[in-house]
Amino acid sequence: MKRKAGELILILAFYLLQVTLGSVIEIGGIKPNLLIILPVLFGFLHGKNEGMFVGFFAGFMYDIFFSGLFGFSSLVFVYIGYFSGVFYQKYEETEMLIPLGLLLAGNFSFGFLSYIGNFLLHNRLNVMYYISRFILPEIVYTLLIAVIVYKPVAFLNKKLEPRNKRRMSKVD
Amino acid sequence: MRKKFSSFMNSKYILIGLSALCLLFIATSFFTDRLTEPLRNAVSAVVIPVQKGMNYIGLWVSDKYDTLQEMTRVLEENKNLQECVDSLTEENNQLKQDSYELSRLRDLYELDERYPGYTKVGARVIGTSSDNWYSTFTIDKGSDDGIEKDMNVIAGGGLVGIISEVGSNYALVKTVIEDNSYVSGMLIDTGDTCIVKGDIELMDTGLIHLQGFGSNVTVRNGDKIVTSNISDKYLPGILVGYAKDITADSNNLTQSGYLVPAVDFGHLQEVLIITEKKESH
Repeated sequence: MKRKAGELILILAFYLLQVTLGSVIEIGGIKPNLLIILPVLFGFLHGKNEGMFVGFFAGFMYDIFFSGLFGFSSLVFVYIGYFSGVFYQKYEETEMLIPLGLLLAGNFSFGFLSYIGNFLLHNRLNVMYYISRFILPEIVYTLLIAVIVYKPVAFLNKKLEPRNKRRMSKVD
Repeated sequence: MRKKFSSFMNSKYILIGLSALCLLFIATSFFTDRLTEPLRNAVSAVVIPVQKGMNYIGLWVSDKYDTLQEMTRVLEENKNLQECVDSLTEENNQLKQDSYELSRLRDLYELDERYPGYTKVGARVIGTSSDNWYSTFTIDKGSDDGIEKDMNVIAGGGLVGIISEVGSNYALVKTVIEDNSYVSGMLIDTGDTCIVKGDIELMDTGLIHLQGFGSNVTVRNGDKIVTSNISDKYLPGILVGYAKDITADSNNLTQSGYLVPAVDFGHLQEVLIITEKKESH
């Protein structure tokens, strides 16, 4: 319970940073996608269920005020959390490149799906322009932020673990 | 009992369940806002006050930052007047901070004078859209302050956009530079109508499309484009921007080109909402 509450607060904090600080730190009109970082990291650090839980609520916040199609980001984020969870406990926590790779794949698919929904269906066929001007810069910026927040989130993930479980996982 | 419950917690079932839930959300949001409205109101009750607070902190910090920059400049200029620098910078700080506020408010007041016929409400911008595709933003007034959907939003001399959604304590403004925005406009002097169309591919140039002029209309660079009287949502006579590079289309029936928006969309802090709506006319 404490864990879920902690995660929800983290999602809320990331959302607030995204909408308020986003316009300050944007470069060339591109701001990082902070919320997509969370399902990837929690999926990788704590399994599929956690990834899906965080993905659902992160997507929920992403969508709730600024989307014509409510639920779309949630859906994508849930799948991103699930697939990140596949790699849970397969790698050491210090292997930062694995979650970053997952984030790259996840963010690209999310960006591309958004492009299809928002623009391709409106007859904007200039795919390369949208990828190079919007999707790729966003991924690079997001990865940069992910490198910064990875350690704190991993630390928080450990902190949210109930004490007896922590001991058990040491026995494993 | 616990074991039984945890067997239901199989991640595949959760995935299917959540996917179904999301699909349900998507399907309903195609047709109605009924489902998202209570959710939005619940979340906004928590999020908007915090957002307002963060916005004030941000303004305070940027004010302080500006004044600091100003201070270093003054210090450099007054190297030979070391003895009075202390008192001067102190005074300068205070005055600068006031004057920023004053000039911003004066701009708003001037704008207020320019469209005297409409009643307006001021509001602060407290958040931008969560993705890079749209340039929608949130303001800190909602239905509690009398804001309604489809009210026009202006700032800094021209049209910003239109209220697209309203909650009790916030509202979303859809800007005219957004990709799916169409505004019916006209030339201020002759009344020839045209269409102002946002385009994300022109984002880097700061321009938007201007199209649909008849072939016999002469449009010069810098001609003022205002909202037309045949628009069904925008009030007539609000400045949208200035025409640029209007050329004949390949069909030789229409002319099109670009529009330089009158509003600096990169640095919006305060906006005015016209509380009259087109339908009431």
